Amino acid sequence: MRTFSYVRADDVDAALRAITDEPNAKFLGGGTNLVDLMREDIERPDTVVDITRLPLAEVEELPDGGVRIGALLRNSHLAAHPVIRSRYPMVAQAVLSGASGQLRNMATVGGNLMQRTRCLYFYDDAAACNKREPGSGCAAIGGFSRSHAVLGASASCAATHPSDLCVALAALDAIVELRSSRGTRRVPLVDFHRMPGDTPEIETVLADDELITAVELPPPPSGVSRYRKVRDRASYAFALVSVAAALDVQDGVVSSIRLALGGVGTKPWRAYQAERALLGAPATEESFRAAARAELADAVSLPHNEFKIRLAESTIVAVLRGMS
Amino acid sequence: MSEQGIGAALTRVEARDKVTGAARYTADVVLPGMAYAALVSSQVSAGRLRSLDVSAAKAAPGVLGVFSHLDRPTWHRVPAIPYFGETRMPFSDDRIHHAGQHIAIVVASTRQQAAHAAALVKAEYEAGKPVPTLEKALPSAYVAAQGNYVNFPQETVRGTPEEALAGSPVRVKAEYRTALISHAPIEPSVTTATWEGDELTLYDTSQAVVVHRGLVATAFGLPEDKVRLVCPLIGGAFGAKTHVWGHTLLVALAARRLGRPVQVVITRKQMFTTTGHQPPTVQRIEIGAERDGRLRVITHDSTNSTSFVAERPENTVLSSVATYAVPNLRTRVRLARMNFGTPTAMRTPGDGPGSFALECALDELAHELGADPVELRRRNHADVHPQSGKPWSGKNLLECYRIGAERFGWHRRDRRPGTRREGNDLIGYGMATARRVEHHRAAESTVDIRTDGGVVVRTATQDIGGGTLTTMIQVAADALGVAPDKVTITVGDTDLPPGAPTFGSITSGSNGSAVRLAAQDARGAAIRLAVGDKGSPLHGLAEDAVDVRDGRLFAKADPRRGETYAVLLTRNRVNPLRGNGKYSPAESQYETSTFGAHFTEVRIDRDLPRVRVVRHLAVIDCGIVLNTKTARNQAQGGIIGSIGVALMEELRQDPVSGRALAPALTDYHVPVNADIGQIDVHFVNKPDHNSNPLGAKGLGEICSIGVSAAVANAVFNATGRRIRDLPITPRRLL
Repeated sequence: MRTFSYVRADDVDAALRAITDEPNAKFLGGGTNLVDLMREDIERPDTVVDITRLPLAEVEELPDGGVRIGALLRNSHLAAHPVIRSRYPMVAQAVLSGASGQLRNMATVGGNLMQRTRCLYFYDDAAACNKREPGSGCAAIGGFSRSHAVLGASASCAATHPSDLCVALAALDAIVELRSSRGTRRVPLVDFHRMPGDTPEIETVLADDELITAVELPPPPSGVSRYRKVRDRASYAFALVSVAAALDVQDGVVSSIRLALGGVGTKPWRAYQAERALLGAPATEESFRAAARAELADAVSLPHNEFKIRLAESTIVAVLRGMS
Repeated sequence: MSEQGIGAALTRVEARDKVTGAARYTADVVLPGMAYAALVSSQVSAGRLRSLDVSAAKAAPGVLGVFSHLDRPTWHRVPAIPYFGETRMPFSDDRIHHAGQHIAIVVASTRQQAAHAAALVKAEYEAGKPVPTLEKALPSAYVAAQGNYVNFPQETVRGTPEEALAGSPVRVKAEYRTALISHAPIEPSVTTATWEGDELTLYDTSQAVVVHRGLVATAFGLPEDKVRLVCPLIGGAFGAKTHVWGHTLLVALAARRLGRPVQVVITRKQMFTTTGHQPPTVQRIEIGAERDGRLRVITHDSTNSTSFVAERPENTVLSSVATYAVPNLRTRVRLARMNFGTPTAMRTPGDGPGSFALECALDELAHELGADPVELRRRNHADVHPQSGKPWSGKNLLECYRIGAERFGWHRRDRRPGTRREGNDLIGYGMATARRVEHHRAAESTVDIRTDGGVVVRTATQDIGGGTLTTMIQVAADALGVAPDKVTITVGDTDLPPGAPTFGSITSGSNGSAVRLAAQDARGAAIRLAVGDKGSPLHGLAEDAVDVRDGRLFAKADPRRGETYAVLLTRNRVNPLRGNGKYSPAESQYETSTFGAHFTEVRIDRDLPRVRVVRHLAVIDCGIVLNTKTARNQAQGGIIGSIGVALMEELRQDPVSGRALAPALTDYHVPVNADIGQIDVHFVNKPDHNSNPLGAKGLGEICSIGVSAAVANAVFNATGRRIRDLPITPRRLL
């Protein structure tokens, strides 16, 4: 634990000024991840800028049938919101499958996008970790790798992205709205998180002086949708594998498909290859399995996480079978 | 159930305080001028400290002192094991035996200042090459010589095991592994130390204040009566607070050096590395049997890890020695040293991992024979203790099987694995036997009857969450003939009569017996006072012509003739009337154990194979049950804990450094509510007066023994897959 300064911003402009003016500053939302990491001496900001009073906690229905979700909406409010529950049930299911009631009451939508990995070596200050100390190496590769990614890993890092919500957002083509003193820009969720490559410490495209102000969802895809999470216990555990899926079947043929995976990728993993294999294919177990295998064809396992490849295939098939 | 208390389903007396937050735990102790400590942990698993720079920490705001091996603390003497967990005293030298080892203690005016300054201590290491895991330690496994923790036979031979194996028509042989698991109580370990001259008071999360007092006195070279240990309530222990660990002595040391009270609350990470754990085991079992299922022979070889500063064998093999009637037997326990913290007792030491191996092997034998698992166990029932040949003080195991099979619907089990399905779920039934040696300890108590009719029980035992405060009240109320709500109790303080430790399932039997004897003593004294008192309506009666009920003494022959304790004592100006109870277990002609049978139903999704225990039934024979409500609650807790051991608990280690990879309860999995199905507990509830005067025996451990085997056996019945390594995670079933 280190000493730090605390600043509270009352509007977005003040928050953007603070993050620009204060050296080594971080925004503080629900604090469920940042404060934890500060206690563990992993995040070491000199200043935290409390943004919880900014007016960014609304859910607004858009003229095109989509919704705009304020970045400071609490996870529990997001999951309980009638528009989300009725039109984007996958989002509500994903949120409710994560963390605990107490954490969801605190955690914000924007903070969820900024969650850092739960890689046990990232949390172990005696272990080498390129994400925590760039260039120090990776103790997980060659260590205990059961929780690690089979998709998107590099020689530097195989840590999984921990969010459930982001998996659903990836499937739904969500857009992230970012603001800075330079203006506003909109980034697709699937492009918001970066692959680790040689710089696993850089996890998103968010600039140091940018603030996530909203997440927009386009109109929901046709058909039924579902989020399913497989883990070591029934609740309060990170995913071994999770699947966000939206499926529409016309005359026995897949007419629309959205598929994203959690727990297996270094970022929320949109399964484009599986989607391509499925679109126009008969809605059968064989198609589902072939699509899953197409997505997982490039999967690379470490000594303890090979099971995730098989589990991901089973989960994709089970979810799609249950929806068709 | 006695009308005066024993067996009544009373709500625990501290329940309201606990749910309203009024209950005071050890971390709630605040003393005038108290400072706060934080412990600095070694980052490496082996080697030595090359240097330790504490200058930045000493200069940090609020810091009052920083101590380490550089200050050369002089311990008077290394206390004998047990109950100090290790052979090395903290800060003795610069050597590192495990990651997480305390290397410095920082004391500051606030908890936050101490934590901050602890992070500023800079250690440089000359890192050695650690033995990181049990797997890597196995090649150097050895049989320990007797002494210290090594207090049971490391090798046992009965009959001619090798010949018996060779001549057995049916044999099964398998290797089982249990994981490194951690107690993970919600309340971490806490110590507050304060000195007045040469007198030390410790507020400590202790499962045994009396035993620990002697140990602390030894370390500091003090007479026992100069040390006081106080432990108001414990928020979970499971064995983690059975021994004194280094932090307790270090805080006492810092408080003495600084001349003010000091408190430390162990961090969650340190709970995983410095207050013990259950070591991983590798167990090889071979069974030879007749075709009708009668056991001819069992061999059981077990190896567990231990640290480089303690030799602690896990008594897994007692399961094979003492559970079934088997004429030939060979057991052996070996130790393998690894660079990890020292293991300790954890619910349930020995029998937890041991019964997993033995009861799974029995299930494998039943499958091999095409026999019913319950019937196989009945056929091998031990009518007398199979090693000593002594009779049991009380044993109702056959009744446990009968009641359990009936209530569970065991007959619905299909012997062919993988055949019962519902939708996408595979369904399996499994069962196992539970057996635990009942330990006895000397214990003392006083029971005071006051002139207002109130009763006070005083005994230095502890309540670790099992309901001891309430059950001891019930024992006193029953023996005195008063309503339980007239009785209050004070425990957890060495100023009280020395009570029993609250570990090893000995509180109910041993401390309960002391309370009973004290209450009987007080009641007898009151009756003698009455019959000898001319002012009493009972004057002149024989003592045995008087009975007591609801606080009123009366003539058995004429219940209208009598008076209350309050009236008797007030008139005689006796306040209080004290009864003394001293329970001293004697050498017995009996073997005493507790018994039980577990039945469990699992369901497993074929595609996503996470095991769900949807239904569990335990039938337990632990003598007379003191309180059916707290007992059921304790048994359910023990069963849930063991379901966790079966399905998810494992303190994972880095295979290179051996470091524990569990920064928090987020990562160290125990069951959450959503994991728990229906759990039924049935008690045979027959007193065992051959065991102790009260007839009650321990429950805390018997309820959890055999659960992991029952679950694994159910998984086999559901899937046809025999998982011999715990925990049974989805990964192992894919």
